[in-house]
Amino acid sequence: MAAQAIPELSTAASEPPVDWDAVAARARGVRRAKAVVLYAFLIAVSLPIILPYFWLVTIAFSARTGVAETAVLWRSMAVVVPAVVAFWLTAALAQSRRQLWIGLTAVAAIAIFAFAVLVGPDLHLGNFIFLWEPDFASVVRSRIGEVKGAVQFPNVWHAFGNSILIAGTQTAIVVTVASLAAYYLSRFQFPGRSSMLRSLLVLHAFPVLTLIVPMFLMLYWIGLLDTLSGVILVLVAFELPFAIFIMKGFFDAVPWDIEMSALTDGASRRQAFVSVVLPQVRNGILAIAVFTFIRGWEEYIFVFTFLIRNSNWTMSLYMYWVRDDVMGVDYGVVSAVGVFYLVPSLILYMAAQRYLMQMSIGGVKG
Amino acid sequence: MAKIEFRNVVKRFGAVEVIPDMNLVIEDGEFVALLGPSGCGKSTSLFMLAGIYLPSGGELLFDGHIVNEVEARDRNVGIVFQSYALYPHMSVRDNILFPLRFKKTPRDEALAKVKTAADLVRVAELLDRRPSELSGGQQQRVALARALVKEPQLLLLDEPLSNLDASLRLSMRTEIKSLHAQLGVTTVLVTHDQIEATTMADRIICMRAGRIEQVGTPDDLYLKPSSLFVAGFIGSPPINLIAGEAEAGTITVNGARFPVEGASGALTVGLRAEHLRIGDTGFAGRIVQIEPMGREILYVVETGMGAVRVLEQGSSAVHSTGEQVKIGFLPENSLVFETARQKLIGGAHVRAPA
Ligand SMILES: Nc1ncnc2c1ncn2[C@@H]1O[C@H](COP(=O)(O)OP(=O)(O)O)[C@@H](O)[C@H]1O
Ligand SMILES: [Mg+2]
Repeated sequence: MAAQAIPELSTAASEPPVDWDAVAARARGVRRAKAVVLYAFLIAVSLPIILPYFWLVTIAFSARTGVAETAVLWRSMAVVVPAVVAFWLTAALAQSRRQLWIGLTAVAAIAIFAFAVLVGPDLHLGNFIFLWEPDFASVVRSRIGEVKGAVQFPNVWHAFGNSILIAGTQTAIVVTVASLAAYYLSRFQFPGRSSMLRSLLVLHAFPVLTLIVPMFLMLYWIGLLDTLSGVILVLVAFELPFAIFIMKGFFDAVPWDIEMSALTDGASRRQAFVSVVLPQVRNGILAIAVFTFIRGWEEYIFVFTFLIRNSNWTMSLYMYWVRDDVMGVDYGVVSAVGVFYLVPSLILYMAAQRYLMQMSIGGVKG
Repeated sequence: MAKIEFRNVVKRFGAVEVIPDMNLVIEDGEFVALLGPSGCGKSTSLFMLAGIYLPSGGELLFDGHIVNEVEARDRNVGIVFQSYALYPHMSVRDNILFPLRFKKTPRDEALAKVKTAADLVRVAELLDRRPSELSGGQQQRVALARALVKEPQLLLLDEPLSNLDASLRLSMRTEIKSLHAQLGVTTVLVTHDQIEATTMADRIICMRAGRIEQVGTPDDLYLKPSSLFVAGFIGSPPINLIAGEAEAGTITVNGARFPVEGASGALTVGLRAEHLRIGDTGFAGRIVQIEPMGREILYVVETGMGAVRVLEQGSSAVHSTGEQVKIGFLPENSLVFETARQKLIGGAHVRAPA
């Protein structure tokens, strides 16, 4: 019945017949062109991000004489830039999953082969000398002659441990406090709740550098200057507001009736929180844990200002002093320290990627 | 099992008084329905019974003991939430087991009880699944099993059928009713669907804006609604209401004259669709729409007092659209309300115009 009514309503019948194949071909062409433009854009944006990291790694594993050996870099780039372009193009043009995988595997195989031939012979581990030679500084210096104002380096593993300690403790405190505070903010009405939520965000808006001097004085007066706990306290204070805000978004997304259900099922408020609510925000906790840890791992300004003794150095300070000591003289060692410093963040990011993506899904609402 | 009593119970959220003054007795083992439109305070009343909300005033009694300040977890109340509120990270088994964790039931005994409860609502084969892997109806059964496994003294159901499709709703209605017959637990059902209330409950508490409008059996509410609100809320198709002024024992509306007994002044006459008959006498109208409903046929008739619905027995229409008809009824089937106070005037009747 409906089919009979349509010709009366539309004028389609009186128009020339549509060439569906041409229309489809045009749509297909437009779709292809859009994909190519998109991928070209992605390549243009990602190259400047990928290249420095790539150089860092290449230099760390290849530099021998101390000075920048640009020939290796150029050769490695001759492999990597075409490889990246080929990767994106394969992704853009592949018609099926199977084609995509075959294409990507082929590109990867060719790239690895070319890399092994062009760059392979220059690779070595000599620049990572600091990992096993506590007095690596002397070795490096002797390679390049006298260095003025030479620094006394602690063992790199000591600095590594300090960084882990700072980042780990800070993460434990932030996750615990933020979860409890955010839960309370999400579930309970109390006077000043909304102004507290507003101020959480405002707190995060301050440039931390503006507070360096007062912080320094405060730490000095309470005797925590040049201690790891002092730095941890400061970091926790700066990280908490945002973590609370993020966690509140996650708690808001947990329906309150499962909690009420737990209460009528005989759970206490605490038992309901632990056994029913917390599991729902697990991804949020993982996300803020990873971010807080990496934030602590990267921390530079506060440790630079508040830590003085070299037994308190963190990896960032170690990195800074290596650069200061042999900079311009041994790119290889500086890059190697950089790579060593980078690896833990990288591993953590990759392991937690899935949960970090959910931060945007978990949503943040007031 | 418990006898429940509300004594002058008040509930406020901040400055908003949601329940102004509630008085109600629910007998031990009874199945009652709290019926009312959305937002009238049904869930709020239920959550006060569960101990989720504290009453702002008055007393709540279980078996004669005041329980206002008894914590939810100590009340031994089973509740099925509108959303079912299953714990998403636990298997069905762990969901049903959850209430027993806090009763310190030995593991073997607890598992046996889970089995019994799961069998009761027929979810035994789903025990290893996650709630997200269940259909709406299955989730609902699991929620029931979880509420029943602790052998509650009171079972609360908050719109348990509202998220189910029509046929499932029908079968769950029967099942919940037979569960109640089998277990005998005092049960309070919250619903905004009058059919659910009338088909399942022994007694209906009809609520409006936080106040109890009428309490009674489904028949009471249907045949003797105490107010216009109840008359309009109960019954499908909705009752026909005709408003007019009674002068010298007659209500005249647009030329139709209804003789009235036992009432005067501004009145509203309520006539149920199935009490109206299309025939040779009565008030006049023109059929504008015909809706076959299986065993019955609903005629929408345009009359001087607006559209009137008439429900006739039979599966095929004997009248056609556009036909001029007369509509009659028996006086004892008419309900007469005082328009100003919206209350039923007992014993008053109107007659169909000759
Ligand atoms: N926690 C609360 N805070 C404030 N107002 C509430 C709360 N819970 C319910 N209300 C209000 O109380 C009224 C009754 O709600 P409810 O009992 O949920 O109605 P329903 O009869 O639909 O179940 C509504 O107007 C609702 O907005
Ligand atoms: Mg409700």
